[in-house]
Order: sequence, then structure tokens, then C-alpha cells
Amino acid sequence: MPQPLSAKENSLFRQVIRNYEDKQYKRGLKAAEQILKKNPKHGDTMAMKALIINQQGNTDEAFALGKQALMADMKSHICWHVYGLLYRHQKNFEEAIKAYKSALKLEPDSLQIQRDLAFLQVQMRDYQGYIQSRTAMLQARSQVRQNWTALAVAHHLAGDLTQAETVLTKYEESVKVPPSKTDFENSEAVMYKNTIIAEQGDYQRALEHLESIAKTNLDRLAVMELRAEYLTKLERKEDAVKAYRALLDRNAEHPDYYNKLIKVMAIPAEDTAAKKAIYDEYAEKNPRSDAAKRLPLDFVSGDVFREAAKKYLTFMLDKGVPSTFANLKHLYTDSSKKEALGALAHEYYEAKKFDAGEAKTDDPFKGEGAALYYLAQHYNYHLSRDLTKAMEFVTKGIEKAPDNVEFQMTKARIIKHTGNTQKASEEMDKARNLDLKDRYINTKAAKYQLRNNETEKGLETVGLFTRNDSPAGPLNDLLDMQCIWFMTEDGEAQVRKGNVGLALKRFHTVYNIFDVWQEDQFDFHSFSLRKGQIRAYVDMVRWEDHVRDHPFYSRAALGAVKLYLDMHDGKTLSDGVNGDDKNGDAAERKKAAKKARKAEREAAEKAAKQDPNKPKAAVDETKKKDDDPDGLKLAATTEPLVEATKFLVHLLTYTPKNLEAQLAGFEVYVRREKYVLALGCLNAALAIDASHPTVHEHTIRFLHAIRSKMASLPPKVQEVIKSEFTAIAPSTDLEEFNDEFLAKHKGSVPHAIAAIKMKALVDEDEDQASVEKQLAGLLAASGVTFEDAQTILSILRGSRSKELDEFKKKAAEKWPEVTAFA
Amino acid sequence: MDIRLLRSSDLPLIQHANLENLPENYFMKYYLYHALSWPQLSYVAVDVSRPKKTPYDYPKIVGYVLAKMEEEPTDGIQHGHITSLSVMRTHRKLGIAEKLMRQSQLAMVETFGAQYVSLHVRVSNKAAIHLYSKTLGFDREKIEEKYYADGEDAHCMKLDLSSIKEQVAAFAGGDDSDEASEAEDEGDPVGDVGKAGDEGKQMPSRPKETKRKVKVGRPLGVAGLVEKDESKHP
Repeated sequence: MPQPLSAKENSLFRQVIRNYEDKQYKRGLKAAEQILKKNPKHGDTMAMKALIINQQGNTDEAFALGKQALMADMKSHICWHVYGLLYRHQKNFEEAIKAYKSALKLEPDSLQIQRDLAFLQVQMRDYQGYIQSRTAMLQARSQVRQNWTALAVAHHLAGDLTQAETVLTKYEESVKVPPSKTDFENSEAVMYKNTIIAEQGDYQRALEHLESIAKTNLDRLAVMELRAEYLTKLERKEDAVKAYRALLDRNAEHPDYYNKLIKVMAIPAEDTAAKKAIYDEYAEKNPRSDAAKRLPLDFVSGDVFREAAKKYLTFMLDKGVPSTFANLKHLYTDSSKKEALGALAHEYYEAKKFDAGEAKTDDPFKGEGAALYYLAQHYNYHLSRDLTKAMEFVTKGIEKAPDNVEFQMTKARIIKHTGNTQKASEEMDKARNLDLKDRYINTKAAKYQLRNNETEKGLETVGLFTRNDSPAGPLNDLLDMQCIWFMTEDGEAQVRKGNVGLALKRFHTVYNIFDVWQEDQFDFHSFSLRKGQIRAYVDMVRWEDHVRDHPFYSRAALGAVKLYLDMHDGKTLSDGVNGDDKNGDAAERKKAAKKARKAEREAAEKAAKQDPNKPKAAVDETKKKDDDPDGLKLAATTEPLVEATKFLVHLLTYTPKNLEAQLAGFEVYVRREKYVLALGCLNAALAIDASHPTVHEHTIRFLHAIRSKMASLPPKVQEVIKSEFTAIAPSTDLEEFNDEFLAKHKGSVPHAIAAIKMKALVDEDEDQASVEKQLAGLLAASGVTFEDAQTILSILRGSRSKELDEFKKKAAEKWPEVTAFA
Repeated sequence: MDIRLLRSSDLPLIQHANLENLPENYFMKYYLYHALSWPQLSYVAVDVSRPKKTPYDYPKIVGYVLAKMEEEPTDGIQHGHITSLSVMRTHRKLGIAEKLMRQSQLAMVETFGAQYVSLHVRVSNKAAIHLYSKTLGFDREKIEEKYYADGEDAHCMKLDLSSIKEQVAAFAGGDDSDEASEAEDEGDPVGDVGKAGDEGKQMPSRPKETKRKVKVGRPLGVAGLVEKDESKHP
């Protein structure tokens, strides 16, 4: 029941609200206490107090008090509203929505509650609910344009384009005075309406509408692009040609314009000469345009290619453009182009080398130097790799220009490809030392250190460029700035070093960054309406819908899943059983971890002293301290498969076509004995790449598991499996199947590894020991690479094989430069 | 290479490029703030020829310009500001930074009626200062002491956008191309917009007064101040 207060206390209560809004929490708290002294069960005051202590960081206490407040006064909209806000703060959006709805029932006219509810609904993509809320908000304040636009956006996001357009038109019709030409909100709103007309597929009407607004619209580029698009759709070819030419005059570096121009000109794909003529025309017009010069190389061939490539290469190498190879390497998938480019670069180099008459430029990176750089990269590229030659050219380059970062950096990269991560790390650090002010080369050096498992050094290196005003050191800045590459690389290095806790910590950090990114959109639901930038907002909402399909997420998530699987299987290095690793046992590992922490702390202190400036943004005092900085709690989980599933579900939802995701899904679900789900992953993997070695393993493992488990599964599950498992007949002789696979892929070491691994499962004559022997024996197989050997090494390590030491020794003899075998 | 408008989905790799290349970094929300407040002003350079490794690869960003309008200009003049500009070391000498900047500046004038654009640069960053002053024509306005977190000073630089304004006006009006060519600064792509007399006519024809329209093409509220203060700024 609403509890009346005396006049004095009523004014105190208003003060509490004011204090809260002004973020004067201590004062607010004092005033609230004063009320509660006389009215200990006053719900609204308790609720406000809860809200304040929540802001002060005592979330748990706040939540308990919020609940008590609600118990004290179930009929108070304030109590329900606060309850919703507390849930919202905990990111439990479903419960928050429920609480807001209860509050709104008690106080249907509260704009504030309605707003809070609406923004949560759109955040949760409850579009029907959002439409309802926006309709109510529009009815309450129909004079504000924002409310009309917002309702249109709600319909648009819900997929109802007609309704969205109707709402926008209704507003336009209600306006008596025509909006000013500089009214940005109007300019954007009409463009938004235009895209909605086009999205309905009615291009004729979209074009007419666009022409009616084009004159005054402030977004000139959008007008030009949409007009060109509509004209094309309407097959008004001549006009469309002109429209695309106008766009190219504006920006000659946008390949899309060329493609669309050529398409609308109806030049047949095989008429490469006519196509090239278009590009040539723009290359002439814009001597500095790279696109016009380079793009024809994609579609011309034979002598025309050779000639064009020669011209391009000469121009670029004369100028000393470092990205010449990067601009051309995609052509290497065509072997004739690959050979032509290699030959042309040699030709150019030879000509320059003996061209004594020409005056040497000051820039050692032009002409001959540029050719050396190109050739070094050419021989380092996986499609044209010859690391000895690559090294030859890069060495010449370094002799010519010992201070040049690019040559030194390429040298490190070449060495990396030999598997010598140690030397690669050293050489990249040399490159870094050639230009200490450049963060790009600093980043590269740090990355190479991490690849070589030098995690402390890597952090120290990135720390040279981070803002180190936090006592927590460089890592803190990297966290604040959401530096995903570092978290991922460091996590992977920690896995290799056996530091399970730190590795999990890094992968979880990446996971949380994606949570933050999703949460980030919240404020824009209202901000964008105020700013009036509707199209950009809709674009953002649609991107956020699939934000976790980013490779940044996949890579960290796959790393985490793999690690959790190893934890479940008892294969992680950290348990100290593995005697192979050099700093092998648990005690030494602990010592190393301690040392790392100390180094981190010291680096932090040093950095803090070095920086005399206060950070521009005030340090957030209320920021919660991390109670598990080393991930020890994460590593102590007793349910690694449950944790793995948390990472996995997003992988399978957002990146179902990623083979690695499906393979990981199978591994998790098979261990959890969720056979229908495991089968789903297997079938998806088969659809992506049926000949992949791991897919073969999974096929065998699935059938093998089913044979022993089928009887114990519920009838429904049995049914699904029977109808969905179609890869091989249920009666297949797996030993035979495995042998056939081996024979079919003879000569491929990765396939051989898979088949041999499966022998232990399907061949009665084979046991684990003999399988391990055969795996180790692959070292003598023809075509075996050091990467294959690394795969075998990690299998042997995982099963703590007796073969391990011997294998490593032999691998080291075969590839003395590879750090992993040293 | 592809120079195009920034999209929200580019942001993770823009943030990545920024972290790889520059000491001034920002969290995602700050990038979103730019992308959602002035979506016309920020551009990216994309390596389109990079082979895809998974079906979910995003276009690799090798350069970007993150730009904004000054929300409450202290001098009362509508102007743009470059928050961050970066080109990968591996993709230098292709004129990318310049091309990005020109597209951004054009939009600043067209959409927001910017009179000039400003930026900060580390006093030690010789290469960038060279680009801004020699290639793009920025003037050194003043030094802001200890602007950066590590204590380094910044040059505050400015570029007057009136030449672009003339081109835009000429283009909008479908004017004689000769007049526009005079305003051209370096015969770069942006300059060509002015020359695009023939193509310009293909745009919906505009009445003569559109020339004036561009001048007032800015959000409400500061229009009155702009004309008066214009002379003070080069």
C-alpha cells in the first residue's frame, strides 16, 4: 500500500530523488536514512536507497534492499521501477522488462518508465513490444518528430516496411510549415523514407521521391549513389551510366563504381578490351588513382596482362611503393599470372642492377631496392615460396639499406616461416629498434614475442606505447582499449606455456569485450533519435545483431573451447605430469607465474612514474577490482564442458559455416553425450568439407559411440539419429572404412594422422602404443612438413606417449631451426 | 584498394588498425559515437584483394579517417575535426591518407556546412606534419602544450575549406567548368568534381540559388555567427 509521509519527509524524499539524479549519493543516502528512521518500512525510500547504494557499487546489498522495498510496498510504481533498474544493471534484461511493465501498470502515464521499457525492448529485439511502447509514447507527445520517426524505425526493424512508410508520411502531412532547407533532421528523415520505399522494391517510386528531395538534401553522396542504383534497377541505362560516371569523378578509388558502370554499359564479360578501356580512361584522368591502374589486372590475361602488369610494376617500383606486392598477391592464385609477375620483377631488378648510368636516388627503397623488396616477398609468399631465395633477396636489401624497417621486418617474417620463432622474434625486435617511434613495428615485435611464448617480454614491448597511468600497468590500458589482438595472442601463448588460468582469463576477456560491444548500442537507441541519423542507426542495429560472427570472437572462443576440452580430458600441461616441457613441473611453473606478476607490477610502477600527466579522463574510482586477475578461479572450474558450451553456442549460432566451429561443437557435445547435437555438427561439417581429416575422425567416432550407446538412448533420440546419420551406413565396417580413407588420401600426412589415430578405435589388433609408434613414424613420410610434425608432437604430448622424447629429438634433427622441437 | 564510407561493421577492424598503429586509442563506444553522429564524414581504405580465410571475414582495413563536427565550436564557426587518421605502414605511398581526407572534407562542407577543418598532431610526427601542411595545405595554428597523455605537445592545424565550398556550389549549380577549375588546389580527384560539368548536369537540375544554399547548409543555431566571423579565419 502507498505509505503517506509527513510534509517534511515528503520534501526530504524529493531531495533524495534530486540527489540521486545529480549523483550526490552521500547526501541522498543521508536524507533517505532520515526518512527511514521514522518510517522504517517506507517502500519508496527503501527503493531509492537501494538505487543509490547500487550506484556506489554495492550491487548485492542493493538488490536485497530493492526486494525488501518491493515487499514493503507492492503497489508502488517506484519500487517496481527501481527493481527493474536493478535488474537492468545486472544485465538481466528479461526480468527488468517484467518489472518495468508492472511499474507501468501502476503508473500508466509515466513517460520515464515507458522510455526505460521501450529502450530495453529494442535492445532485446522485442520489436512487437517496442512498437507498442513507441505508439504509446507517440500518443503522449505527437508534436515531437522524433516520436514519429521512432515508431517508423520500430516498424522497419520489425520488418513492416509499409507501416514504417505510412508513419513517416503521416508526420509529413501533419506539418503545416515546410521545414527549413538546413533542417538536418528533416534532410535525414526524408532520406530514410526514401530507403524504405526502395527496400519495398518499388524503384520507380523511390526514384521519383528521390528526385523530389534531391535538390535540398544535405547528404549529397547518398543521393548520387541511390539515384545511380535506382536508374540501374529501372534499366534507364544511359542515365545510369552518367550517374556512375559522376560518382567516379567524385571518387575514382571505389571499385564498386567501375563494376556497376561496366555492368550497366552492358559490356560482355569476355570483352576485356572494352572493360579495360574504361579503367584506362580513368587512369588517364586521375594519374594518382591506384584502382584504375590495378583493377584491370584482375580480368585481363596473356600478353595483355603481361604488358599491363609490366607497366604497373614499373610505375610502382620506380616510385618505391611498399604495398606493391600486397596489391598484387591475390593474382597469384592464377599460376600464369604468378609466373609472369615473378619474371617481370626479376626483369626489372636485373635492368636496374646494371643500369649504372642512371643517377642513384637518395631513397634506397626506390627502383632496385623496391625490386628486392618485391622479390623477397614473392619468394616468401606461400604460393610462390622459396625461403632460401627470399632470404637472398632480403639480405641484399638489408645490405643496401641497413636502416630500413621494411627489409628487416620481412627478414623476420621469412624466418618465422622456417618455424624458428626464436630467431624471428629477435629479428623483428631489431626491426622495432630501427624505428622506436612507430607503433606498427612495435606491435609486430610484440606479436612475434608472443608467438615465441615470451609473454612477459611481449607485454613489456606493447607497454612502450600504452597509457600507463593505471597502477595495474600496461595490461589495464589494453583492457580499457579493448585490445583484442593482444588478449588472443597472449591467451594462445599461455596455452602453449601451460598457464591454464591466464589463458582462460584472456579468452574470457575477449568474450566480455563482445558483451560490452553489444551493451554499447543501448545508449544509441535514444541518442540516434536525438541526433536524427536514422540510417546509420539502423545499420548499427543490424550489425549488432551478428556482432559475434567476427573472426576476433571465433578465434578466442575456439581457443577457449579447445582448452576446456583438454581440461576435461585431463590433458592440460598445467597438471605437471607432462615431463617434456623444459620448465616442466608445477613448482617451476608457479615460480614463473610469480615472476611474471612481479615484472608486471614493476613495469606498472615504473610506467606510472614516467608519465607526469594526469589522464584526461578521470580514473573511475568505483571501478570494480578484478578479484581473479590470474584466472585461477576460472582454471578451478569443475565443469569445463559447461564453460566450453558458453563459448560454443555463439560460435554455432553466428558462424555455422565455419568448419572449426562445427568441429569444436562435435567435440563438446560428444563428451556431453548429446548425440543429436553432435550429429548436427558432424552433418554441418560434412557439408562444408567432407574430405577434411578431422571430419573423417568424427564420422568414425560418432558411429563407434552410437553402436555402444544407442540402446540406452531415448526412443525419440534413436529415431532422429537413425534418420539423420547418413554419412555412412550404420553397418559399415569401420576398420575397412578407415583403411579405404587412408588409401584414398595416400601421400597426405594430415589425412594419414587422422586415419592412424582412428586405428586405436576401430582396429582390434592396434593399441594406443602401436598407434603412437605409427604416428611417430610419419616423420619419415615423404612430403612431411614441420607443421605436421608439430601436430603429431602435440598428440603425443596429450597422451603422454613414450614416443614423445624420441620423436622430438628426431624432429629436431630434421628441422634444427624449428624452435618448437628445440 | 577501395576508398569508401565507413560502416558500423568496419569498426572492430578500425579499432584494431588504430591499436596497431597509433598511441591514441579509443574504446568501441567512441567509434560508434562518430559513426552514428556524423556517418557522412568517416572513410576507410580497404584491402579488397586480400583472400578470405573464412566465410565470415570482414574487409581488411588498411587506413581510416575518423572525423567529426565540433559540437560547440568556441569560435562559433561550424567546423570539422579529425579525431584520428591512420594508414598501415605497409600501405604507405599510395596517397591513401590524402584520398581519405579529401572525401571527408567534401562531406564536411556538403552535409554540415563546415568552414574549416582542424586537427592535432604530435610535434615529433614529421611525416604526418608533412602530409598535412605540404600535401593537404593545412596551416599551423598554434601549439597546445602537453596535449598528449605522455606530455608531448601538439600542433593545432587548420585547413580552410572555402575552395571546396566553391567547387560544391559550382557542381551543384552545374556551372561552367572553368570557374570551378580555378578553385582546384592540386588537380586531385576532389578537384575533378568541379570539372564534372557534363556529368553534373545529370544530377537533378538545380535552381541558381542553390549556390547560396550550400553556404547555409549547416545545422540550426549557429547560422548567424558564421558569416560575421568568417573573415577572421584564413
